[in-house]
Amino acid sequence: MALYTLFAAMLKEEWRVHSALFGHLGFALLPFTLVFFAALGALMLPVFTRHIDTGTLVAIAHLAFGLMGMTIGAFGLLGREALNRRFGQASMIAYASRTFPVSNRTIMTAFFAKETLYYFCFWVLPPIIGFGIASVVLGIPRALTPLFLVSLGLSFLFGLSAVFLLSTVYAHSRRALLVLMGLLALGTAAALGATGTPVEALFPPLAFFHDRSAASLLISLLASGAMAAAGIWFVQVEYTGAARHYPNAFRPLTATLSRLRTPHFVAKDLLDLKRSEGGLGKILFSFLFPIGIIWLLLEVLLFILPGLNALAVFAILLAAFSTTIYNWLTEFDDFAPYAFFPVTPGDVIRAKLQTYLMLTIIPVATLVIAAAGFGQMDRLLPSLLAFAGLSSYAVAVVVYCAGLQPNILLYNTRTLLSFIGLVAPAMLALIFISLPDPRLVAAGIVLVLPAALLVDRGERRWSQVEQRLF
Amino acid sequence: MHTVISTTDLTRTYGDVVAVKSIDLEVAEGELFGLLGPNGSGKSTTVKLLTGQIRPDTGSMRVLDADVLADPVAVRAKVGIIPEQETPPSFLTAEEYLQFAARIRTLDNGVDERIAYWFDLLEFGETRDQLCKDLSRGTRQKLMVAQAFLHEPRLAIIDEPLINLDPVMQRTIKDFLTDYVRHGNTVFLSTHILSIAEEICSSVGILHRGALRYQGGIDTLREEHSSLEGAFLALVGKPAREA
Repeated sequence: MALYTLFAAMLKEEWRVHSALFGHLGFALLPFTLVFFAALGALMLPVFTRHIDTGTLVAIAHLAFGLMGMTIGAFGLLGREALNRRFGQASMIAYASRTFPVSNRTIMTAFFAKETLYYFCFWVLPPIIGFGIASVVLGIPRALTPLFLVSLGLSFLFGLSAVFLLSTVYAHSRRALLVLMGLLALGTAAALGATGTPVEALFPPLAFFHDRSAASLLISLLASGAMAAAGIWFVQVEYTGAARHYPNAFRPLTATLSRLRTPHFVAKDLLDLKRSEGGLGKILFSFLFPIGIIWLLLEVLLFILPGLNALAVFAILLAAFSTTIYNWLTEFDDFAPYAFFPVTPGDVIRAKLQTYLMLTIIPVATLVIAAAGFGQMDRLLPSLLAFAGLSSYAVAVVVYCAGLQPNILLYNTRTLLSFIGLVAPAMLALIFISLPDPRLVAAGIVLVLPAALLVDRGERRWSQVEQRLF
Repeated sequence: MHTVISTTDLTRTYGDVVAVKSIDLEVAEGELFGLLGPNGSGKSTTVKLLTGQIRPDTGSMRVLDADVLADPVAVRAKVGIIPEQETPPSFLTAEEYLQFAARIRTLDNGVDERIAYWFDLLEFGETRDQLCKDLSRGTRQKLMVAQAFLHEPRLAIIDEPLINLDPVMQRTIKDFLTDYVRHGNTVFLSTHILSIAEEICSSVGILHRGALRYQGGIDTLREEHSSLEGAFLALVGKPAREA
């Protein structure tokens, strides 16, 4: 009874958190947006499958859903701090064992069930419906949609269960987690490389997709169930971790950055990034996944339009993905901690943009490495100019559309579509400009002009909008 | 006496809820003014309005001769503010946060001495190298008090400054505030704890359901109702129980 009551309350709580963050309608429309984009993407399948074999695409889809399960689980388990930043002191039902006569195991079981059902409905089901719609148009066998529903659902569950287990191991011992991760990585590499084991044999949901047997289904369910059960049974909840101490790094960093307009803001942002979970490495990691997608898109784009220059297109796509750096910078605070200081939201945005510009060293370095990799160092400068123009413009659009809250507002369907509507034409224009001669992509630098205008308007816009305060 | 805070017809709503209703308020220089009221009466909204953190639906405000609506940043530059909730950035240490606050307020001289003074007065120097997110709520509150007075403002607008603090620290801050006003400065203190107001405030305003039910000297109220609590309960429509 307590389990069902908790489960139902957690479902309601999850909905209310999201609707408070993103707006009722804005969030309710998100699944429809996912259906639309999934259908659109699936309609491109004939183009993809001409260049990438179907088996690879299926494996990527299953691994992506597994990764999604891991991401959602990780945020669910570690997200209280993020919510505290948004709402002041957030108190979630998941932390209720301190005040209610229920065990941590009961709470975690309800939490796991809630995560599975809620996110299956919001994130797993819509893309599969989108695929189903596209499959009717493309004449793909109809049986594939329900098969995907089960196998991708299992992938999501596998990822979610894995993160429950890993987080429990982490709570007991960081070293044990590192050892476990190391063993898993080595084991996977050995299996794939040395013994030639196919990927699907290591990932039960993918095996089920291929053989559709009851045995594979059972193995997949048992594997997820065992990981979740172990994660829940051995759960160890620590409400307060050890206090962390640091020598003063703010003052020397501010002195180093003294030539900047607001070095103290930049120093604070850099310390936020360095000292928060994952350190500066999370920016690098957040680039690895998009860069993988960029490579995939690049292969397809070059196949459709053979006249394209790989480096120029890479620079354009990289510029669009670089806006995620701004998202990281606004992840740690919004305007609330500054509301009682003599600054406006526009001042804080401008300061975040300074840090953003500093951190674009990461994508710039990536671009230089790509140029060397493509053997096109002679064409690096035009691509760098295009990157500079487009990344400035794209981040300016984020600033204009979402101010200091891109991690929230870009989940609002209208804002997301505005962002896409403003950035996609610029990207397409640059790609087509580069067709006759890749060096022409340098024209992208002119985008710094609308970028400056948009930043100026964005700063004024968000300074006039009343910010969320605690 | 010079007026440092004045509002005219100040109204603020949140959807259908009228948080602050047509308030006319005046606070003179050198006063330790207490804004009292039950939970949800509009005290924190009034603080946010006076410091330009939110805008009113109607009405006007002047703080230290500056028009809050026209130039809220100028007001926040002059005033020391303790917000309703303590929200220092998570990943700066206590000392780094005070240095950050000093930089935002463009303080150049004697910053280290000022920070040392506050660590010493509020007895939390041992946490100077600890991340703000790992500080106890009481220590975070001390940090908020320190940042509000770091630039030695003429006026402090403070919302429940003694919340989460132990009795010893409450005494220290009450003594500090009394001394601060004695030196010609002004304090606008929002609280629902009557004993604090009774002990240190020279004048009070009593808010109930967004409306200002009383403004004036605390002694006048005591004379009329035998105690501040009796006056407060009468003004918010909850007569004191017969002894």
